[in-house]
Amino acid sequence: MSSRSYGLQEPPSLGVAGRKRYAMVVDLRRCTGCGACAMACKVEFDLPLGVWRIWLKEENRGEFPNVRKVVVPTLCNHCDYPICVRNCPTESTYKHADGFVLIRPNRCIGCRACIVACPYNARHLLPAARTDAQKPTSITDKCSFCIHRVSRGLAPACVASCTARAMIFGDLNDPESEVATLLLKENVSVLRPDMGTAPQVYYIGLDHGGVTDPIACYTDRSVALKDDFNAFKRNHNGLSFGDIVEGENETSALGFTRQVAGHLKDFIVDIFEKIGWVSRH
Amino acid sequence: MEREIVSNAFHHVNWGIPIAVYFWLVGSSAGSFVISSLGWVFGIKKFKPISFFASNLAIVQLLIVPALLVFDLGRVMRASHLFPLVTGFWHATASLAWGTALVATYPIGMAIYSYLIYKHNEKWARVFGFIAVIQAISTHWYTGITMALNPSRHPNHTALAALLFLIGAFISGIGLLIVILKIRDYFVKAADKLDPTMIVGLGRLMLLGLCVDIFLVFSEFIHMTYGTEEEFHVLELVSTVFRAPVLELYLGLGLALPLAILVSPYGKRNGGVLLASALIATGIFGMRLGWVLISQFSQTIF
Repeated sequence: MSSRSYGLQEPPSLGVAGRKRYAMVVDLRRCTGCGACAMACKVEFDLPLGVWRIWLKEENRGEFPNVRKVVVPTLCNHCDYPICVRNCPTESTYKHADGFVLIRPNRCIGCRACIVACPYNARHLLPAARTDAQKPTSITDKCSFCIHRVSRGLAPACVASCTARAMIFGDLNDPESEVATLLLKENVSVLRPDMGTAPQVYYIGLDHGGVTDPIACYTDRSVALKDDFNAFKRNHNGLSFGDIVEGENETSALGFTRQVAGHLKDFIVDIFEKIGWVSRH
Repeated sequence: MEREIVSNAFHHVNWGIPIAVYFWLVGSSAGSFVISSLGWVFGIKKFKPISFFASNLAIVQLLIVPALLVFDLGRVMRASHLFPLVTGFWHATASLAWGTALVATYPIGMAIYSYLIYKHNEKWARVFGFIAVIQAISTHWYTGITMALNPSRHPNHTALAALLFLIGAFISGIGLLIVILKIRDYFVKAADKLDPTMIVGLGRLMLLGLCVDIFLVFSEFIHMTYGTEEEFHVLELVSTVFRAPVLELYLGLGLALPLAILVSPYGKRNGGVLLASALIATGIFGMRLGWVLISQFSQTIF
Protein backbone atom coordinates (compact mmCIF):
# COMPACT_ATOMS: atom_id res chain seq x y z
CA MET A 1 0.00 0.00 0.00
CA SER A 2 1.36 3.39 -0.87
CA SER A 3 2.09 5.69 2.04
CA ARG A 4 -0.69 8.01 3.03
CA SER A 5 -0.67 10.44 5.89
CA TYR A 6 -3.80 11.87 7.40
CA GLY A 7 -3.82 14.87 9.68
CA LEU A 8 -1.56 14.87 12.66
CA GLN A 9 -0.98 11.17 13.09
CA GLU A 10 2.41 9.51 12.89
CA PRO A 11 3.12 7.83 9.53
CA PRO A 12 3.47 4.03 9.59
CA SER A 13 6.71 2.92 11.21
CA LEU A 14 7.03 -0.25 9.14
CA GLY A 15 10.56 -0.35 7.75
CA VAL A 16 11.59 2.91 9.41
CA ALA A 17 15.10 2.60 10.85
CA GLY A 18 15.29 3.01 14.61
CA ARG A 19 11.57 2.53 15.10
CA LYS A 20 9.50 -0.51 16.03
CA ARG A 21 6.35 -1.72 14.33
CA TYR A 22 4.45 -3.85 16.77
CA ALA A 23 2.00 -6.34 15.35
CA MET A 24 0.16 -9.47 16.40
CA VAL A 25 -0.38 -12.76 14.65
CA VAL A 26 -3.28 -14.97 15.77
CA ASP A 27 -3.01 -18.57 14.65
CA LEU A 28 -6.61 -19.77 14.48
CA ARG A 29 -5.47 -23.31 13.82
CA ARG A 30 -4.13 -23.36 17.35
CA CYS A 31 -6.84 -21.31 19.08
CA THR A 32 -9.09 -23.47 21.27
CA GLY A 33 -11.48 -20.67 22.21
CA CYS A 34 -10.67 -21.05 25.92
CA GLY A 35 -11.22 -17.32 26.52
CA ALA A 36 -8.06 -16.91 28.65
CA CYS A 37 -7.03 -13.88 26.56
CA ALA A 38 -10.32 -12.08 27.20
CA MET A 39 -10.19 -12.88 30.92
CA ALA A 40 -6.53 -11.86 31.30
CA CYS A 41 -7.35 -8.56 29.62
CA LYS A 42 -10.38 -8.02 31.86
CA VAL A 43 -8.19 -8.56 34.93
CA GLU A 44 -5.25 -6.52 33.63
CA PHE A 45 -7.38 -3.45 33.08
CA ASP A 46 -10.18 -4.07 35.60
CA LEU A 47 -12.70 -3.71 32.81
CA PRO A 48 -16.32 -3.30 33.90
CA LEU A 49 -19.06 -5.73 32.89
CA GLY A 50 -20.30 -5.44 29.33
CA VAL A 51 -17.17 -3.96 27.77
CA TRP A 52 -14.22 -5.81 26.27
CA ARG A 53 -10.84 -4.88 24.88
CA ILE A 54 -10.49 -8.33 23.36
CA TRP A 55 -13.34 -10.74 22.85
CA LEU A 56 -14.08 -13.96 21.04
CA LYS A 57 -16.37 -14.04 18.10
CA GLU A 58 -17.66 -17.56 17.94
CA GLU A 59 -20.07 -19.46 15.89
CA ASN A 60 -21.44 -22.98 15.78
CA ARG A 61 -21.32 -24.32 12.25
CA GLY A 62 -23.21 -27.25 10.78
CA GLU A 63 -25.57 -29.82 12.26
CA PHE A 64 -24.86 -32.90 14.34
CA PRO A 65 -22.78 -34.94 13.69
CA ASN A 66 -20.96 -32.55 11.37
CA VAL A 67 -20.50 -29.64 13.70
CA ARG A 68 -17.67 -27.26 14.33
CA LYS A 69 -17.14 -24.28 16.57
CA VAL A 70 -15.12 -21.51 15.01
CA VAL A 71 -13.58 -18.84 17.19
CA VAL A 72 -11.81 -15.60 16.36
CA PRO A 73 -10.22 -13.48 19.09
CA THR A 74 -10.95 -9.88 18.09
CA LEU A 75 -9.26 -6.73 19.32
CA CYS A 76 -8.10 -3.32 18.16
CA ASN A 77 -6.14 -3.77 14.95
CA HIS A 78 -3.79 -0.84 15.61
CA CYS A 79 -4.21 0.11 11.97
CA ASP A 80 -1.54 1.92 9.99
CA TYR A 81 -4.23 4.29 8.70
CA PRO A 82 -6.73 4.41 11.55
CA ILE A 83 -10.06 6.05 10.80
CA CYS A 84 -10.66 6.60 14.51
CA VAL A 85 -7.59 8.85 14.76
CA ARG A 86 -8.69 10.85 11.74
CA ASN A 87 -12.17 11.41 13.16
CA CYS A 88 -11.27 12.27 16.77
CA PRO A 89 -12.06 15.98 17.20
CA THR A 90 -9.85 16.51 20.26
CA GLU A 91 -6.76 14.52 19.23
CA SER A 92 -7.48 12.28 22.16
CA THR A 93 -6.73 9.20 20.14
CA TYR A 94 -3.46 9.17 18.28
CA LYS A 95 -0.94 6.99 16.53
CA HIS A 96 2.23 6.26 18.47
CA ALA A 97 5.51 6.27 16.55
CA ASP A 98 5.93 2.54 17.25
CA GLY A 99 2.58 1.60 15.78
CA PHE A 100 0.23 1.62 18.78
CA VAL A 101 -3.07 3.43 18.43
CA LEU A 102 -3.59 4.96 21.87
CA ILE A 103 -5.96 7.21 23.81
CA ARG A 104 -5.16 10.23 25.95
CA PRO A 105 -7.81 9.72 28.65
CA ASN A 106 -7.57 13.31 29.88
CA ARG A 107 -8.52 14.71 26.48
CA CYS A 108 -11.36 12.37 25.56
CA ILE A 109 -14.78 13.99 25.76
CA GLY A 110 -16.78 10.83 25.13
CA CYS A 111 -18.24 11.99 21.82
CA ARG A 112 -17.91 8.42 20.42
CA ALA A 113 -16.85 9.60 16.95
CA CYS A 114 -14.02 7.05 17.12
CA ILE A 115 -16.39 4.23 18.08
CA VAL A 116 -18.60 5.02 15.11
CA ALA A 117 -15.54 5.26 12.86
CA CYS A 118 -14.00 1.93 13.83
CA PRO A 119 -14.88 -0.81 11.33
CA TYR A 120 -13.87 -3.48 13.85
CA ASN A 121 -16.05 -2.40 16.77
CA ALA A 122 -12.88 -2.41 18.82
CA ARG A 123 -13.84 0.57 20.96
CA HIS A 124 -16.31 1.04 23.76
CA LEU A 125 -17.41 3.76 26.13
CA LEU A 126 -16.56 3.16 29.77
CA PRO A 127 -19.60 3.35 32.06
CA ALA A 128 -20.33 6.44 34.13
CA ALA A 129 -20.15 4.60 37.45
CA ARG A 130 -17.30 2.28 38.38
CA THR A 131 -16.56 0.45 41.58
CA ASP A 132 -13.10 1.94 41.75
CA ALA A 133 -13.59 5.70 41.72
CA GLN A 134 -10.00 6.20 40.55
CA LYS A 135 -10.67 4.50 37.24
CA PRO A 136 -11.68 6.60 34.22
CA THR A 137 -15.37 6.88 33.41
CA SER A 138 -17.47 7.92 30.38
CA ILE A 139 -14.55 8.03 27.98
CA THR A 140 -13.61 5.79 25.10
CA ASP A 141 -11.47 2.78 25.80
CA LYS A 142 -9.88 0.05 23.72
CA CYS A 143 -6.95 -2.34 23.47
CA SER A 144 -3.61 -0.58 23.86
CA PHE A 145 -1.50 -3.61 22.85
CA CYS A 146 -0.54 -3.45 26.55
CA ILE A 147 1.98 -0.66 25.95
CA HIS A 148 2.70 -0.54 29.69
CA ARG A 149 3.90 -4.15 29.56
CA VAL A 150 5.52 -4.04 26.11
CA SER A 151 7.63 -1.02 27.03
CA ARG A 152 9.00 -3.10 29.93
CA GLY A 153 9.84 -6.01 27.65
CA LEU A 154 6.79 -8.10 28.56
CA ALA A 155 4.23 -9.59 26.20
CA PRO A 156 0.68 -8.20 26.22
CA ALA A 157 -1.56 -9.83 28.84
CA CYS A 158 -3.61 -11.75 26.26
CA VAL A 159 -0.48 -13.14 24.58
CA ALA A 160 1.09 -14.11 27.89
CA SER A 161 -2.05 -15.95 28.96
CA CYS A 162 -2.78 -17.75 25.69
CA THR A 163 -2.94 -21.43 26.62
CA ALA A 164 -2.43 -22.72 23.07
CA ARG A 165 0.25 -20.17 22.13
CA ALA A 166 -2.03 -19.04 19.32
CA MET A 167 -1.23 -15.36 19.82
CA ILE A 168 2.19 -14.11 18.87
CA PHE A 169 3.28 -10.52 19.39
CA GLY A 170 6.40 -8.76 18.24
CA ASP A 171 8.21 -6.18 16.16
CA LEU A 172 7.78 -6.44 12.40
CA ASN A 173 10.84 -4.24 11.87
CA ASP A 174 12.97 -6.97 13.44
CA PRO A 175 13.37 -9.61 10.70
CA GLU A 176 14.37 -12.18 13.34
CA SER A 177 11.17 -11.77 15.31
CA GLU A 178 8.57 -14.54 15.29
CA VAL A 179 5.83 -12.31 13.89
CA ALA A 180 8.00 -11.20 10.97
CA THR A 181 8.92 -14.82 10.22
CA LEU A 182 5.30 -15.96 10.40
CA LEU A 183 4.19 -13.21 8.06
CA LEU A 184 6.74 -14.39 5.53
CA LYS A 185 6.08 -18.13 5.93
CA GLU A 186 2.32 -18.37 6.41
CA ASN A 187 -0.79 -17.29 4.56
CA VAL A 188 -2.14 -14.51 6.68
CA SER A 189 -5.35 -12.51 6.43
CA VAL A 190 -6.61 -9.41 8.13
CA LEU A 191 -10.14 -8.39 9.06
CA ARG A 192 -11.87 -6.02 6.66
CA PRO A 193 -8.99 -5.28 4.29
CA ASP A 194 -11.53 -3.37 2.17
CA MET A 195 -11.53 -0.55 4.72
CA GLY A 196 -8.08 0.60 3.66
CA THR A 197 -6.88 0.80 7.26
CA ALA A 198 -3.91 -1.59 6.98
CA PRO A 199 -4.69 -3.53 10.21
CA GLN A 200 -1.77 -4.91 12.19
CA VAL A 201 -3.47 -7.93 13.70
CA TYR A 202 -2.93 -10.79 11.30
CA TYR A 203 -4.77 -14.09 11.34
CA ILE A 204 -3.60 -17.47 10.17
CA GLY A 205 -6.43 -19.78 9.17
CA LEU A 206 -9.08 -17.14 8.89
CA ASP A 207 -9.90 -18.49 5.47
CA HIS A 208 -10.40 -21.99 6.93
CA GLY A 209 -13.85 -21.31 8.31
CA GLY A 210 -13.07 -18.45 10.62
CA VAL A 211 -15.78 -15.99 11.52
CA THR A 212 -14.78 -13.68 8.75
CA ASP A 213 -16.24 -10.25 8.25
CA PRO A 214 -18.72 -9.37 7.15
CA ILE A 215 -20.65 -12.20 5.44
CA ALA A 216 -20.82 -14.71 8.26
CA CYS A 217 -21.73 -12.01 10.73
CA TYR A 218 -24.65 -10.86 8.68
CA THR A 219 -26.01 -13.99 7.13
CA ASP A 220 -25.26 -16.62 9.76
CA ARG A 221 -26.73 -14.83 12.75
CA SER A 222 -28.56 -17.54 14.60
CA VAL A 223 -31.98 -16.99 16.16
CA ALA A 224 -30.42 -17.72 19.55
CA LEU A 225 -27.81 -15.02 19.02
CA LYS A 226 -30.48 -12.52 18.02
CA ASP A 227 -32.45 -13.41 21.15
CA ASP A 228 -29.35 -12.92 23.29
CA PHE A 229 -28.73 -9.62 21.60
CA ASN A 230 -32.27 -8.42 22.27
CA ALA A 231 -32.12 -9.58 25.88
CA PHE A 232 -28.83 -7.74 26.30
CA LYS A 233 -30.35 -4.56 24.90
CA ARG A 234 -33.45 -4.82 27.10
CA ASN A 235 -31.26 -5.20 30.17
CA HIS A 236 -29.11 -2.21 29.31
CA ASN A 237 -31.84 0.36 29.07
CA GLY A 238 -30.47 3.81 29.74
CA LEU A 239 -26.83 3.13 28.98
CA SER A 240 -27.07 4.07 25.36
CA PHE A 241 -29.71 5.93 23.41
CA GLY A 242 -29.94 4.26 20.05
CA ASP A 243 -30.49 0.61 20.90
CA ILE A 244 -33.63 -0.63 19.23
CA VAL A 245 -34.90 -4.02 20.29
CA GLU A 246 -35.77 -6.24 17.37
CA GLY A 247 -39.06 -8.09 17.08
CA GLU A 248 -42.40 -7.60 15.43
CA ASN A 249 -44.09 -6.00 18.43
CA GLU A 250 -41.17 -3.79 19.35
CA THR A 251 -40.50 -2.51 15.85
CA SER A 252 -44.06 -1.92 14.69
CA ALA A 253 -44.90 1.76 14.23
CA LEU A 254 -46.27 1.98 17.76
CA GLY A 255 -43.49 -0.11 19.27
CA PHE A 256 -40.82 1.91 17.53
CA THR A 257 -42.39 5.17 18.71
CA ARG A 258 -42.49 3.77 22.24
CA GLN A 259 -38.80 2.88 22.04
CA VAL A 260 -37.83 6.30 20.70
CA ALA A 261 -39.86 8.02 23.43
CA GLY A 262 -38.22 5.74 26.02
CA HIS A 263 -34.74 6.63 24.77
CA LEU A 264 -35.56 10.33 24.88
CA LYS A 265 -36.86 9.95 28.44
CA ASP A 266 -33.63 8.18 29.40
CA PHE A 267 -31.63 10.95 27.78
CA ILE A 268 -33.49 13.62 29.76
CA VAL A 269 -32.96 11.69 33.01
CA ASP A 270 -29.32 11.38 32.01
CA ILE A 271 -29.09 15.17 31.67
CA PHE A 272 -30.25 15.56 35.27
CA GLU A 273 -27.81 12.88 36.33
CA LYS A 274 -24.93 14.63 34.60
CA ILE A 275 -25.89 17.87 36.33
CA GLY A 276 -25.90 15.91 39.58
CA TRP A 277 -29.56 16.28 40.49
CA VAL A 278 -30.47 12.58 40.33
CA SER A 279 -28.56 9.34 40.54
CA ARG A 280 -29.54 6.06 38.94
CA HIS A 281 -26.54 4.16 40.18
CA MET B 1 -26.50 -19.72 25.63
CA GLU B 2 -24.65 -18.06 28.49
CA ARG B 3 -21.38 -18.79 26.73
CA GLU B 4 -22.44 -16.87 23.65
CA ILE B 5 -23.54 -13.88 25.71
CA VAL B 6 -20.20 -13.82 27.48
CA SER B 7 -17.95 -14.22 24.50
CA ASN B 8 -19.78 -12.51 21.66
CA ALA B 9 -19.34 -8.93 22.78
CA PHE B 10 -22.44 -7.00 21.83
CA HIS B 11 -22.07 -3.36 20.97
CA HIS B 12 -24.27 -0.38 21.51
CA VAL B 13 -25.61 2.05 18.97
CA ASN B 14 -23.45 4.93 20.06
CA TRP B 15 -25.01 7.85 18.29
CA GLY B 16 -28.67 7.45 19.07
CA ILE B 17 -31.95 9.31 19.24
CA PRO B 18 -30.52 12.63 20.57
CA ILE B 19 -28.20 12.81 17.57
CA ALA B 20 -31.06 12.02 15.17
CA VAL B 21 -33.11 14.80 16.79
CA TYR B 22 -30.12 17.11 16.50
CA PHE B 23 -29.74 16.37 12.78
CA TRP B 24 -33.43 17.00 12.28
CA LEU B 25 -33.34 20.30 14.16
CA VAL B 26 -30.22 21.57 12.41
CA GLY B 27 -31.75 20.60 9.08
CA SER B 28 -35.04 22.33 9.78
CA SER B 29 -33.15 25.38 10.97
CA ALA B 30 -31.08 25.47 7.78
CA GLY B 31 -34.17 25.04 5.60
CA SER B 32 -36.02 27.75 7.48
CA PHE B 33 -33.09 30.12 7.14
CA VAL B 34 -32.71 29.51 3.41
CA ILE B 35 -36.37 30.58 3.00
CA SER B 36 -35.67 33.61 5.17
CA SER B 37 -32.80 34.59 2.90
CA LEU B 38 -34.88 34.41 -0.30
CA GLY B 39 -36.44 37.80 0.41
CA TRP B 40 -33.52 39.85 1.70
CA VAL B 41 -30.50 38.16 0.15
CA PHE B 42 -31.75 36.85 -3.19
CA GLY B 43 -34.27 39.63 -3.81
CA ILE B 44 -37.46 37.56 -4.19
CA LYS B 45 -39.77 40.19 -2.75
CA LYS B 46 -42.81 38.02 -2.12
CA PHE B 47 -40.92 36.12 0.60
CA LYS B 48 -39.84 39.28 2.42
CA PRO B 49 -42.75 39.34 4.90
CA ILE B 50 -41.74 35.97 6.41
CA SER B 51 -37.96 36.57 6.44
CA PHE B 52 -37.77 37.95 9.97
CA PHE B 53 -39.97 35.23 11.45
CA ALA B 54 -38.20 32.45 9.53
CA SER B 55 -34.78 33.66 10.62
CA ASN B 56 -35.84 33.85 14.27
CA LEU B 57 -37.40 30.40 14.05
CA ALA B 58 -34.11 29.08 12.67
CA ILE B 59 -32.27 30.62 15.63
CA VAL B 60 -34.68 29.08 18.17
CA GLN B 61 -34.33 25.66 16.54
CA LEU B 62 -30.57 25.91 16.68
CA LEU B 63 -30.49 27.04 20.30
CA ILE B 64 -31.83 23.61 21.36
CA VAL B 65 -28.91 21.92 19.63
CA PRO B 66 -26.11 22.60 22.17
CA ALA B 67 -28.15 20.96 24.93
CA LEU B 68 -28.53 17.82 22.82
CA LEU B 69 -24.90 17.73 21.82
CA VAL B 70 -23.25 18.65 25.08
CA PHE B 71 -25.35 16.34 27.24
CA ASP B 72 -24.82 13.51 24.80
CA LEU B 73 -21.09 13.69 25.51
CA GLY B 74 -19.70 11.21 27.99
CA ARG B 75 -17.82 14.02 29.75
CA VAL B 76 -20.00 17.10 29.65
CA MET B 77 -17.51 19.41 31.34
CA ARG B 78 -14.92 18.60 28.70
CA ALA B 79 -17.03 20.10 25.91
CA SER B 80 -14.56 22.99 26.02
CA HIS B 81 -11.94 20.62 24.54
CA LEU B 82 -13.70 21.15 21.22
CA PHE B 83 -12.78 24.83 21.12
CA PRO B 84 -9.23 25.54 19.95
CA LEU B 85 -9.24 28.95 21.60
CA VAL B 86 -9.59 27.23 24.98
CA THR B 87 -7.34 24.24 24.45
CA GLY B 88 -4.86 25.31 21.80
CA PHE B 89 -5.30 22.19 19.70
CA TRP B 90 -7.37 21.70 16.59
CA HIS B 91 -7.77 18.47 14.71
CA ALA B 92 -8.50 19.57 11.17
CA THR B 93 -9.20 16.07 9.79
CA ALA B 94 -12.11 15.53 12.18
CA SER B 95 -15.44 16.67 10.85
CA LEU B 96 -16.67 17.18 14.42
CA ALA B 97 -14.00 19.84 14.94
CA TRP B 98 -15.37 21.78 11.97
CA GLY B 99 -18.91 21.09 13.07
CA THR B 100 -18.26 22.64 16.45
CA ALA B 101 -17.03 25.82 14.80
CA LEU B 102 -20.09 25.92 12.57
CA VAL B 103 -22.65 25.16 15.27
CA ALA B 104 -21.05 27.81 17.50
CA THR B 105 -20.94 30.58 14.89
CA TYR B 106 -24.04 29.92 12.79
CA PRO B 107 -26.55 31.28 15.38
CA ILE B 108 -24.43 34.42 15.68
CA GLY B 109 -24.53 34.91 11.90
CA MET B 110 -28.29 34.44 11.90
CA ALA B 111 -28.76 36.81 14.85
CA ILE B 112 -26.82 39.58 13.06
CA TYR B 113 -28.94 39.01 9.95
CA SER B 114 -32.17 39.11 11.98
CA TYR B 115 -31.09 42.33 13.67
CA LEU B 116 -30.31 43.93 10.30
CA ILE B 117 -33.74 42.93 8.93
CA TYR B 118 -35.32 44.40 12.05
CA LYS B 119 -33.44 47.65 11.37
CA HIS B 120 -34.37 47.48 7.64
CA ASN B 121 -30.72 47.73 6.67
CA GLU B 122 -30.98 46.18 3.20
CA LYS B 123 -27.36 46.48 2.18
CA TRP B 124 -25.79 44.85 5.22
CA ALA B 125 -28.64 42.37 5.61
CA ARG B 126 -27.76 41.08 2.15
CA VAL B 127 -24.06 40.75 3.04
CA PHE B 128 -24.56 39.09 6.43
CA GLY B 129 -27.49 37.08 5.09
CA PHE B 130 -25.28 35.66 2.38
CA ILE B 131 -22.63 34.70 4.94
CA ALA B 132 -25.31 33.11 7.14
CA VAL B 133 -26.71 31.13 4.18
CA ILE B 134 -23.26 29.66 3.61
CA GLN B 135 -23.08 28.86 7.34
CA ALA B 136 -26.56 27.29 7.22
CA ILE B 137 -25.71 25.05 4.30
CA SER B 138 -22.30 24.14 5.75
CA THR B 139 -23.74 23.36 9.18
CA HIS B 140 -26.13 20.86 7.77
CA TRP B 141 -23.77 19.56 5.12
CA TYR B 142 -21.28 18.73 7.84
CA THR B 143 -23.82 16.53 9.65
CA GLY B 144 -24.12 14.43 6.50
CA ILE B 145 -20.36 14.40 6.08
CA THR B 146 -19.85 13.35 9.70
CA MET B 147 -21.92 10.26 9.00
CA ALA B 148 -20.41 9.71 5.55
CA LEU B 149 -16.77 9.71 6.68
CA ASN B 150 -17.12 6.35 8.38
CA PRO B 151 -16.32 3.81 5.67
CA SER B 152 -17.90 0.87 7.44
CA ARG B 153 -21.21 2.59 8.07
CA HIS B 154 -23.83 2.07 5.43
CA PRO B 155 -26.04 3.63 4.04
CA ASN B 156 -24.10 6.78 4.97
CA HIS B 157 -20.77 6.08 3.34
CA THR B 158 -21.71 7.46 -0.06
CA ALA B 159 -21.09 10.78 -1.73
CA LEU B 160 -24.84 11.28 -1.86
CA ALA B 161 -25.33 11.12 1.90
CA ALA B 162 -24.52 14.76 2.59
CA LEU B 163 -26.68 15.89 -0.33
CA LEU B 164 -29.54 13.75 0.89
CA PHE B 165 -29.19 15.32 4.32
CA LEU B 166 -29.17 18.81 2.76
CA ILE B 167 -32.22 18.35 0.56
CA GLY B 168 -34.06 16.71 3.44
CA ALA B 169 -33.17 19.76 5.51
CA PHE B 170 -34.50 22.10 2.85
CA ILE B 171 -37.89 20.43 2.58
CA SER B 172 -38.36 19.70 6.28
CA GLY B 173 -37.35 23.31 7.05
CA ILE B 174 -40.01 24.65 4.70
CA GLY B 175 -42.55 22.14 6.02
CA LEU B 176 -41.99 23.04 9.64
CA LEU B 177 -41.96 26.76 8.78
CA ILE B 178 -45.35 26.51 7.05
CA VAL B 179 -46.86 24.64 10.00
CA ILE B 180 -45.53 27.16 12.52
CA LEU B 181 -46.54 30.14 10.36
CA LYS B 182 -50.04 28.73 10.24
CA ILE B 183 -50.08 28.34 14.03
CA ARG B 184 -48.81 31.92 14.32
CA ASP B 185 -51.78 33.13 12.29
CA TYR B 186 -54.07 32.26 15.21
CA PHE B 187 -52.24 34.70 17.48
CA VAL B 188 -51.63 37.75 15.26
CA LYS B 189 -53.83 40.57 14.02
CA ALA B 190 -55.68 40.17 10.72
CA ALA B 191 -53.31 42.60 9.02
CA ASP B 192 -50.28 40.47 9.97
CA LYS B 193 -51.76 37.18 8.86
CA LEU B 194 -49.97 35.24 6.16
CA ASP B 195 -50.90 35.82 2.55
CA PRO B 196 -52.47 32.51 1.34
CA THR B 197 -50.57 32.69 -1.95
CA MET B 198 -47.34 32.64 0.05
CA ILE B 199 -48.16 29.17 1.41
CA VAL B 200 -48.81 27.89 -2.10
CA GLY B 201 -45.53 29.48 -3.25
CA LEU B 202 -43.66 27.72 -0.44
CA GLY B 203 -45.49 24.52 -1.39
CA ARG B 204 -44.09 24.78 -4.95
CA LEU B 205 -40.58 25.19 -3.56
CA MET B 206 -41.16 22.19 -1.33
CA LEU B 207 -42.33 20.14 -4.31
CA LEU B 208 -39.12 20.95 -6.15
CA GLY B 209 -37.04 19.82 -3.15
CA LEU B 210 -39.23 16.74 -2.74
CA CYS B 211 -38.55 15.63 -6.33
CA VAL B 212 -34.80 16.00 -5.81
CA ASP B 213 -35.01 14.09 -2.51
CA ILE B 214 -36.94 11.24 -4.13
CA PHE B 215 -34.39 11.11 -6.94
CA LEU B 216 -31.51 10.96 -4.46
CA VAL B 217 -33.06 8.33 -2.25
CA PHE B 218 -33.96 6.28 -5.33
CA SER B 219 -30.32 6.48 -6.43
CA GLU B 220 -29.22 5.37 -2.95
CA PHE B 221 -31.49 2.35 -2.98
CA ILE B 222 -30.48 1.38 -6.53
CA HIS B 223 -26.88 1.58 -5.34
CA MET B 224 -27.66 -0.60 -2.34
CA THR B 225 -29.43 -3.32 -4.29
CA TYR B 226 -26.28 -3.80 -6.37
CA GLY B 227 -24.06 -3.32 -3.34
CA THR B 228 -21.94 -5.17 -0.88
CA GLU B 229 -23.10 -7.63 1.76
CA GLU B 230 -23.33 -4.76 4.23
CA GLU B 231 -25.58 -2.80 1.93
CA PHE B 232 -27.83 -5.83 1.51
CA HIS B 233 -27.94 -5.98 5.26
CA VAL B 234 -29.05 -2.35 5.36
CA LEU B 235 -31.87 -3.24 2.97
CA GLU B 236 -32.81 -6.14 5.24
CA LEU B 237 -32.89 -3.78 8.23
CA VAL B 238 -35.00 -1.26 6.32
CA SER B 239 -37.62 -3.90 5.73
CA THR B 240 -37.52 -5.34 9.25
CA VAL B 241 -36.26 -3.46 12.32
CA PHE B 242 -36.45 -0.01 10.72
CA ARG B 243 -39.59 -0.53 8.70
CA ALA B 244 -41.56 1.99 10.77
CA PRO B 245 -39.26 5.03 10.49
CA VAL B 246 -37.85 4.44 7.01
CA LEU B 247 -40.39 2.55 4.90
CA GLU B 248 -43.56 3.78 6.53
CA LEU B 249 -42.72 7.21 7.91
CA TYR B 250 -40.04 8.52 5.54
CA LEU B 251 -40.71 6.88 2.19
CA GLY B 252 -44.47 6.46 2.58
CA LEU B 253 -45.81 9.33 4.66
CA GLY B 254 -42.88 11.69 4.20
CA LEU B 255 -42.20 11.45 0.46
CA ALA B 256 -44.84 9.52 -1.53
CA LEU B 257 -47.98 10.93 0.07
CA PRO B 258 -46.83 14.61 0.04
CA LEU B 259 -45.77 14.17 -3.59
CA ALA B 260 -49.23 12.89 -4.45
CA ILE B 261 -50.82 15.82 -2.59
CA LEU B 262 -48.57 18.49 -4.07
CA VAL B 263 -48.93 17.38 -7.70
CA SER B 264 -52.69 17.06 -7.33
CA PRO B 265 -55.10 20.06 -7.33
CA TYR B 266 -54.86 19.97 -3.50
CA GLY B 267 -51.28 21.17 -3.90
CA LYS B 268 -52.60 24.57 -4.90
CA ARG B 269 -54.81 24.88 -1.84
CA ASN B 270 -53.65 25.97 1.59
CA GLY B 271 -55.06 22.89 3.32
CA GLY B 272 -53.27 20.52 0.97
CA VAL B 273 -49.91 22.30 1.31
CA LEU B 274 -50.29 22.41 5.08
CA LEU B 275 -50.96 18.67 5.27
CA ALA B 276 -48.02 17.93 2.95
CA SER B 277 -45.79 20.20 5.08
CA ALA B 278 -46.64 18.41 8.31
CA LEU B 279 -46.08 15.03 6.65
CA ILE B 280 -42.72 16.05 5.19
CA ALA B 281 -41.47 17.54 8.46
CA THR B 282 -42.27 14.33 10.37
CA GLY B 283 -41.19 12.09 7.48
CA ILE B 284 -37.73 13.62 7.41
CA PHE B 285 -37.43 12.85 11.14
CA GLY B 286 -37.94 9.19 10.17
CA MET B 287 -35.11 9.55 7.65
CA ARG B 288 -32.81 10.99 10.33
CA LEU B 289 -33.65 8.14 12.69
CA GLY B 290 -33.06 5.56 10.00
CA TRP B 291 -29.86 6.99 8.58
CA VAL B 292 -28.28 7.55 12.00
CA LEU B 293 -29.30 4.29 13.65
CA ILE B 294 -29.16 1.78 10.77
CA SER B 295 -25.56 2.61 9.99
CA GLN B 296 -24.55 1.59 13.49
CA PHE B 297 -27.13 -1.10 14.03
CA SER B 298 -25.74 -3.23 11.22
CA GLN B 299 -22.43 -3.43 13.04
CA THR B 300 -23.53 -3.80 16.63
CA ILE B 301 -24.10 -7.53 16.74
CA PHE B 302 -20.60 -8.61 15.86
